[in-house]
Order: sequence, then C-alpha cells, then structure tokens
Amino acid sequence: MSAREAILGRIRNARNGKDRHEQAAGATEAIAAHLARHPRGPAPAMPGDLPARFRERALKLSSDVLETADRKEVPTLLARYLNERKLPLAGVCWPSLIGLPWSSAGLDMQSRPARDSDLVGVTGAFCAIAETGTLMLLSGAETPATTSLLPETHVAVIDPRRIVATMEDAWDLLRQECRQPPRAVNFVSGPSRTADIEQTVTLGAHGPYRVLLILAPAR
Amino acid sequence: MRVGFFVTCLVDTMRPGIGFASLKLLEAAGCEVVVPEHQTCCGQPGYNSGDHKSAEAMALKFLAEFETFDYVVLPSGSCAGMIRVHYPDLFKHDPELSARFAALGQRTYELTDFLHRIARLEKVPGTFQGTVTYHDSCSGLRELDVYRQPRALLATMPGVKLQEMVESTTCCGFGGTFSLKYGELSTRMADNKCQHITATGADAIVGGDLGCLLNIEGRLRRTGDHTTRVLHVAEVLSGEEK
Amino acid sequence: MQNNAIDFKRQVTVKLADIKLQGALSRLQSRFVEGRSAVISEIADLPETRNAAAAIRDRVLNDLEHWLLQFEQQATARGAIVHWAETDEDVNRIVAGIARQHGVRTAAKSKSMVSEECELNDALEQAGVEVMETDLGEYILQLAHEAPSHIVAPVVHKNKEEVADLFAEKHQLPRKTGIAELCREAREILRPAFLNADMGISGANFLVAETGSALIVTNEGNGRLVTTLPRVHVAITGIEKVVPTLEDVSTLVRLLPRSATGQSITNYVSVLTGTRGDADHDGPEHFHIVLLDNGRSKLLGSDMQEMLRCIRCGACMNHCPVYQNIGGHAYGWVYPGPMGSILTPLLSGLEKSPDLPNASTFCGACAAVCPVKIPLPDLLRKLREQQMERGMKSRQETFMLKAWAWLALRPNLYALATRIAVRVMRLLGGKERLLHRLPGAHGWSDGRDFPAPAGRTFRELYRQGGRK
Ligand code: SF4
Repeated sequence: MSAREAILGRIRNARNGKDRHEQAAGATEAIAAHLARHPRGPAPAMPGDLPARFRERALKLSSDVLETADRKEVPTLLARYLNERKLPLAGVCWPSLIGLPWSSAGLDMQSRPARDSDLVGVTGAFCAIAETGTLMLLSGAETPATTSLLPETHVAVIDPRRIVATMEDAWDLLRQECRQPPRAVNFVSGPSRTADIEQTVTLGAHGPYRVLLILAPAR
Repeated sequence: MRVGFFVTCLVDTMRPGIGFASLKLLEAAGCEVVVPEHQTCCGQPGYNSGDHKSAEAMALKFLAEFETFDYVVLPSGSCAGMIRVHYPDLFKHDPELSARFAALGQRTYELTDFLHRIARLEKVPGTFQGTVTYHDSCSGLRELDVYRQPRALLATMPGVKLQEMVESTTCCGFGGTFSLKYGELSTRMADNKCQHITATGADAIVGGDLGCLLNIEGRLRRTGDHTTRVLHVAEVLSGEEK
Repeated sequence: MQNNAIDFKRQVTVKLADIKLQGALSRLQSRFVEGRSAVISEIADLPETRNAAAAIRDRVLNDLEHWLLQFEQQATARGAIVHWAETDEDVNRIVAGIARQHGVRTAAKSKSMVSEECELNDALEQAGVEVMETDLGEYILQLAHEAPSHIVAPVVHKNKEEVADLFAEKHQLPRKTGIAELCREAREILRPAFLNADMGISGANFLVAETGSALIVTNEGNGRLVTTLPRVHVAITGIEKVVPTLEDVSTLVRLLPRSATGQSITNYVSVLTGTRGDADHDGPEHFHIVLLDNGRSKLLGSDMQEMLRCIRCGACMNHCPVYQNIGGHAYGWVYPGPMGSILTPLLSGLEKSPDLPNASTFCGACAAVCPVKIPLPDLLRKLREQQMERGMKSRQETFMLKAWAWLALRPNLYALATRIAVRVMRLLGGKERLLHRLPGAHGWSDGRDFPAPAGRTFRELYRQGGRK
C-alpha cells in the first residue's frame, strides 16, 4: 500500500459511525457547496477614505508614500526621492510602465526583469489593501516577481482606485479579472525585515531595504 | 437568598479565619448562609493529576450536598472554576447529570464575584489602613472573569490604597501538585511574583486563592521578608485579618 | 529529531541558572507579549474572529480526507507534484529523491518546523546536497549546530554578542557588533546561495484546497527568494495544514502574525500555485509538495483532535510562564511551550516525555491567546489521564491521589485526619509559625517556607459555634 493510501485510509477510519459511501457523498457535496459559496469570515469595517487608510497603514509599516494626480509626474517624484537619499538614478521596471517619461526626469529605466545587480525596481500592483497597507502583486510574463524582490529599493505605482478594503476584497477582484491565481500572488507590506537577533527589528533582510509607494491614478 | 458555603479544603485546614471572614461578608450582604457539615474537597487535585474517577465521585458528593441552595459561594476562584467549568465536563457522557451540574455551576460563585455582582454589596464591614497590591489568581481570572470584582470591593474601603504590581495576572507558580513536582520552577515563578510585589512597596499582598497566597508567603518569608502581610481578600474586606 | 524530553527536569535546573538565557527570554516576553496586545485589538471582533478561525480548522479536520483530495487535485492540475510521507524518514527519502531526479547540488532553505521534525538538512547533506538555511535565525543555528528554541523566533536564546562571535569565526571577517551590521553581513553572504541554488525548500503555513496553493508568510523575503529563483521548489508541511478557501485563509492570516510577532501582517504573504508559465521570467519549473503525517492522522477522531487546529503562531509559548523561565530547548524536541508539551508526547511518544504534560500550572494564559482556541490545559490534563490509565505515574503519586480521594469521600474520617494534621503542623511551625522543611515535599520546602496552619479546622470551629 502506498503512503498516500495508508494515510488517507487512517483518516477515513478515524471517522467512525455513518456509512462510508453516504458519508463520502455528503462530504463531497458539502465541500463543493463551501467552495462555491466561499463565505467570508468577520472582517473589520472600513468606513471612509480607503486611500487615506492605506497611506496611514503603509507608513506604519515603514513604507514611504508619495502622491500625484498626474501619472506623468511619477518619474520626477521618484528622481527627487532617489536624489534625496543619494541613491543611483537607474533601475528596471515592468513593461507597462516604460512609457512614462523616465529619461526627462534624469532616470535610466529599463524594461526587463530584475537581476541581482539592479538597485531600483519599479512595479505596478494588481491592487492594494487598505486594512493593512499592503500591495497585491501577481507574477506573470509582464509582471515579473523579481522586480519587487531583488533590488534594494522597490517602487510601486498604484492607482488609488485599485485600493480595496480587505484581503477578501482583493480575492474577489482576482476572481473577477483572472481565470485562476497566477503562479505567485505576493502580498507585500513594507520593506523586508528581520527581528531574529534580540527581537530587534532591522529593515532590509533579504529583500528590499525600502519600499516607495506612489499613488497616481491610471488614465 | 439561601447560600451554601463551601469553605474549600485548603481554607478549612490551613486558614479557617478566611472561612469566618467570608461568612461575615455574606451575612453583611443579607444572605442566609448554610455550611453543609460533611463537605470536604471539590476534587480538583485528583482531577488535575489525571484521576478522573475520583473527581467524578467527589463531584457527585458535592452535588448531593449543594444542589438545593439558591447559590453556592466559595472563597476560591480555583475551586469555583472546578465546579462551574469542569464538573459539567466530567459528566459529558451522561446528559442528564451534566445538565444538573451545569445548572449548579450557573449558581456557583467565587466570593468577590458573588458579593459584587450578585449580592451587590456596597458597604463592607472591615476597615483597613494601608497600601495593598492584588494578585489575580489564574482560574478566577481566566475561567470566571474575576478581575474588577475584588478591586471594586476594595475601592469601597477608604483606608485602602491599591498599588498595582506589574504582571498581576501572571501565574505565581503554585499550580497545586506542580509546586511539589517542579519545585525549582515553581519557586522561580514565585520569586518573579515576589519581586513584583516588593517593587510596589505595598503593606500587604492580597488575593482570592489561598493556594497562591501560601506559595507567595512561603517565598517571601524564605527570602527574609517577614513584614509584607499576605492576606486573603475576604480577610481585608471583613476586617478579620490578623 | 530525537526526543530528549526525558531529560526535562535536569534541563530545567540548567536553564534556570543560565543568566544569558534568562536575559534573552525577558526580551522575548516584552517584545512579543506587548507586541501582540498592541495589535490584536485592531481585529474588530476578536471573539468572533477566533470562533471563525477555529471553525475553519475544524471544518477541514472533520473531513480531512476529502479536503486533502480536493487540494491534491487542484495542485496537480496546476502542475505541482504532491508527495505523501508517513514518517520523518520518508520525507528525507522523498526530498533526496527529488534532488537526485533534478540533478540538484545546492539547496536554499527557508524556515520549516516540519523539516526540523525530519532533520532534513543532515539527510540531504548525506545525499550529497549542500543545504543553506536562509532565514537569519535558522542560518545562525546552522552555523552553531543548534536546534531552534522557539517556533517563530528560533534563535531567541542567543544574544547579539554570541551571534557576533559566531559570524566572526565562521565568516572570517572583522567582528561586527551592531545588529544591523550583522544582518547586512548575513545578507551579503547568503545572496549567492539564493542566486545559485538549484532547489528551494520551504514550509507552508497553509495549503489552500480551493486553488491547490501553498501559502507562506515571511518577513525577511527569503521565503520569496527560495520559491522564485531556483528551478525546483519543494514545500514540506503537515497533512493538517489544509484550509478550504482563499477567504478562509484570509481570516487565519488576520490572526497569525498578530498572534505571533505582534505584526498586523507579515511583510510577505505568498500564495504559490503550480509551476512557472511558458512566458514567465521567474518561478520554479518543478514544484513538489510533500505532506507529512508522522502521527497526525491518528489524532483525528480522538479527544486530542483539537491540537491539529494549531497554526504554529507561538503565542502560547510567548505567554507561558513556564516557557518564559526555561526557554525552548528544555522541552527536548522540535516544539516547545504548551503546544509542544502536547505535540511532543502525541507525535513522539508519551513514554518518552513523561514530564511535559505535568510541567504546567494550568494557568490558562496559553488558551486565552490561542488564535484557534485550542483548549491547551484541557489537552494537557487528558494526557495526564492517559498517564494515569496506562500506569505511567509513580506509585507514590498514584497512592497519594487515591488516598486523598478515599479520605475526602469519608467526611468523618476526613474530619479526624485533618484535625490531627493541622495540630501537628501547628506544633511544628513553632513560634515563627513557619515550617522550614516539609518531609516528603522538599519540592516545596527547598525554596519556600510553609506558613503553619492555625491548628484548628474551620469545620470544627464552626461546629463549636464560634470563632477561634
Ligand atoms: S497552540 Fe495555538 S497559540 Fe500555540 S502555536 Fe498553536 S495556534 Fe498558536
């Protein structure tokens, strides 16, 4: 007998009583019903302005937040941010963002997945979550996962209209817009950190040292 | 209201004054108090050591002696928790008995809980001058939600100043047979508690469970503190401390 | 991993005397206990959310067979390969086999407590695979050849000086002292391991049956790296970790980091489904999921089933006054604290862990914070009952318990015996009214006096109609 059958057999036997077949049929139905309904648990009410809440929570998680009404301003905001921190003015971005006027802001931006040596990675976001100040990133050919992971500075350009209240809302959006979850759904909440040594929080463990969120409506 | 008083085995043997202090408080609250003569132990020591059978026998004895009262009151959160929470659990296999135990449990109260919430005692007979700090015993706190009640009662005493210690809700390390089996660990936990008590500079450490109080007093005395008084809350409230 | 819990009592003595450890433990307590209490209130309806979380776990456990099959079907449909392991050794064999199959020479590993059950690293090294732990805490332990002492903060027992010494010795670099510098040094040393690893190994906090996904929470980003860069990813977890839907897992994620480290959310929550797509630039080509039983299935349907709800947040140990005083190593196996005191006897043998169920005051602090409402003290008590039934208690203890019960059921005899006892104790207490030694109970009197009784029982005084 394979390990699979042995384990499943033990689990089956643990439920004594009722007729096996009846039970199995009932269980399959109950599972199908639960999956079809995928009910929500209790979630916090999120009255008011979702972008404001998102911003407040993101700041708490040590992300930086900038805002502009005009997406074309994003390169200028980023250039200023990098200059203030004496960071290099070069990086990589998701293909959908290469159309922004990077070079007129003095930035050398390339549209490709990140490599180890890249210092700035610019991504969009599938959506963002106000409850915790979190980004939801989907992996894909046009949205490589490494861009938000390898560079020391991760910049995410977010459409404020894509800020939802909770993780449950984010899953609903995914169900509406995608046939199935991509290989990786990454929820990102601020710069990587560790508190393993003396429970003292240090930013920049294996991922980015800083995360800049730029709220800018897409047209 | 007719109240059956269960003194608990520890108070019965180690500090009977707490029993009389409790009676005085219950009478001050206008209760008709009855002390069933053949009461002994609630069975918790055996129950917590894995001796389910003896616990069942003692629970049945308790039921026979106390089922007829309007209320049952005990000067211990630990024993009250045993009766309220664990007796019905012991008889899960017997729905009828379990229901009777549940009904009895509903009417069973830790002393300060009863005085404050049920009897609504507003003026206590005792007087006390000095600073006290309060240790919240585990079962009373977590099984019966006893936290505000003793504080509210102490607050009615003009001479009492309550100085809270840090971590008043952390276990003192008593734990019944734990204190014997893991003496070293238990002593360390008591030591932590004593340090928090000493840091308040209080004249007395007050609590609602004699087990914890013996543990705390035992450690205080062993470490040379012969002045901090260790009192059951009933003793303070009734003025029967000595 | 070998179960050394038999040594518990001796370890307690050692740990209580370890000043460095005591300092480290006090830090854990302040950071994690205060951290949790600061953010747990963000959950609008905590009691309801905990009820919901417990119900989610129970839904799966009550029908684990079908939920596992649902998970397996979905995961397989997306290109993952699901393996089933009866024992820890099976896991090692399976993972070594996967490594061989894909020609793996180096592996980068993120934190997995299940892999600690298996001592997977040793097994892989023997199979010729070089394994690098990448979670900072686990990396430190790998360098020091030690086991984790906490399920969330594995290296809580070490201070930064010890880490600095260790790094200086092993990295052959000038000794750093700041925590940030130490972290930076580890990052730089570990970066090539991520980039060059053929295989990434991770745990999985949850398996989502709806989508066939593995969910991993991390803070450092190493979990993302080991599941993104290497061409093979192996996720190892227990069979009980299934959760029905994405909504259900959202409820659990709302509780897990808040209970664990006092964070509203961990930096990264990664939901991983299947292998990389044809056009993708990243992600593993092969995704293996190894499901370990190792004694879990036999808890189903038993009165210990509730333990399988556990989501490994560590809150029970952070709040446990016993753990706070002795740390995790004293417990002798993978899982310490209250949850470990139950899991170790259940998964690794009650006869090998006789102290663990007993080393608790039943203070209830653990159950009060457990996000999935496991009645931990009740389960410990049930283990004590098993010890009683199986004759595993000392003869002396069994006799004392039975004698007390016998006496307490005979009120007249009880009255007589207690009257004699309190008189004797009163006498022994002397003028000081303190007993310095208790024959047969030196566990008490080694560290504490015993306040002498008044010399009369309440019941006799009451019967005489008066006070003292
Ligand atoms: S038993 Fe509860 S508190 Fe302890 S680790 Fe498991 S889920 Fe967390």
